[in-house]
Amino acid sequence: MNRNGFAGYHPLINFVYFTAVLLFGMFFVHPIMQVISLVSASCYSIMLRGRRAVRFQLLYMLPLLLAAALFNPAFNHAGVTILFYLKSGNPITLESILYGISSACMLITVLIWFSCYNAVMTSDKFIYLFGKLIPALSLILSMVLRFVPRYKDQIRRISYAQRSIGKDVSQGNLLRRARNGLTILSIMTTWALENAIETADSMKSRGYGLPRRTSYSLYRLDNRDKGFMAVMLSLIIIVVIGEVNGENTMRFFPSVQTAEVTPFSILIYAAYLGLCMMPVIQHMMEAIKWKSIASKM
Amino acid sequence: MQESRLEKTNSRFGRRTLVSAFLIFVIIPATILFGVYALDDRKYYFISLLIILYTMLPFAMVFEKRKPQARELIVIAVLSAIAVAGRAAFFMLPQFKPVAAIVIIAGVSFGPEAGFLVGATTGFVSNFFFGQGPWTPWQMFCFGIIGFIAGLLFRKGWLRKKRLSLSVFGGLATFVIYGGIINIGSMLMFTPTLSREALIATYVSGFWFDLIHAAATAIFLFILSKPMIEKLDRIKLKYGLIDR
Repeated sequence: MNRNGFAGYHPLINFVYFTAVLLFGMFFVHPIMQVISLVSASCYSIMLRGRRAVRFQLLYMLPLLLAAALFNPAFNHAGVTILFYLKSGNPITLESILYGISSACMLITVLIWFSCYNAVMTSDKFIYLFGKLIPALSLILSMVLRFVPRYKDQIRRISYAQRSIGKDVSQGNLLRRARNGLTILSIMTTWALENAIETADSMKSRGYGLPRRTSYSLYRLDNRDKGFMAVMLSLIIIVVIGEVNGENTMRFFPSVQTAEVTPFSILIYAAYLGLCMMPVIQHMMEAIKWKSIASKM
Repeated sequence: MQESRLEKTNSRFGRRTLVSAFLIFVIIPATILFGVYALDDRKYYFISLLIILYTMLPFAMVFEKRKPQARELIVIAVLSAIAVAGRAAFFMLPQFKPVAAIVIIAGVSFGPEAGFLVGATTGFVSNFFFGQGPWTPWQMFCFGIIGFIAGLLFRKGWLRKKRLSLSVFGGLATFVIYGGIINIGSMLMFTPTLSREALIATYVSGFWFDLIHAAATAIFLFILSKPMIEKLDRIKLKYGLIDR
């Protein structure tokens, strides 16, 4: 899997980072903040997923942006700058259009951040993080994740066995095939349940549920992680201070009004840009370092 | 001795079900009112997300605190894996998914709590295959609550282990509960303001999707419920699983 760059950091750092950018992305409506987040998310997702990310953004995100931007003014008629009237007599206002664009941006920003999240926060990292906090549920999660490919494999085996007695989904007429398919699923379910009980008994006989259980941990919070964490947390704190002081917000109704741009607000924007771009910057620095090492050799 | 232990577990189970029901039917509406009146009215999506997570929390806490046995864990995992595999198997047909049907069967066979856990786990894990997003908590909650209600109604005796009864319930639950809640979620993702017209528009545009989903649930329950429940009952009887 993806283990270089930001994804190579401790899962806790990955998780805190994504929680922060997702929450901030959902919360801040100031246009500059939104653009920062959207651009950073796009950069990062292109970096992570390459051409696929570009296609995803153009093919799905752009139409979604337009649809969401149109959706709002159609149902929201607040605002003072009336542009024209609909046939139904409802006014279309400049404010509601801007508001629609802003909320559409927010939506696609969050979706693009999630596409990055999916690439970085793999299920094993999630289970590692939450294994201590919710041991039983994360055990269920990891079991389900393991069972799905296993069941697919088992279905194939059953299907081979059934084929040899002429009862596979590829044999007979349509009704016959459907019935054979259901039989295969039924065999699979019975096998899965019996096998599960066996697994459970085996777990129990090896001491599942006893106190003082140790766990196998792949990750270690080293100095590099701590440094990254410190920078990330301080940037988050600066951005939160900005939010508390109302620098990151914007009023749409009745008339559009954004927080003024002051030296303080510029500091907040810079901190937010830094935060959102952290994985990209980290990746670039790694690349530069590698180049310089490679050129010395 | 066996008898008295069984009785004890029974009463404990009953109280837990009551607590869960209280949380769902009393605490959540209170939180919604709090969100509307006390908090800044703009962050609907955020507030609703909080409520959704907040609802799932007690289940997780109760479940963890109980220190569930390996057998119980694994039965939930198996049912959930079957549902995830089912969702994956029907990926070509939008909305035509057996997930809700399997969750309902789980709720009926193993009780409301197991139903909730199977539903929520399925919503969560299947998105590791299909992609996590702002919709994940909504799906987890909707599937979970369908399983929970199925279990509760079965306990009450209003829902029976009959094909027809389950199919009717499944279709209605998927259409009203799943469709009803998930549409609010997608509307809030789309536009941060709440308005009746927008909600109606979302429901109208989602109507056919919800109808297909409901029909799929009813059909799957009609076909699957009898053999599945038979299998689950057999396993329960054979190994003395999860108290009844």
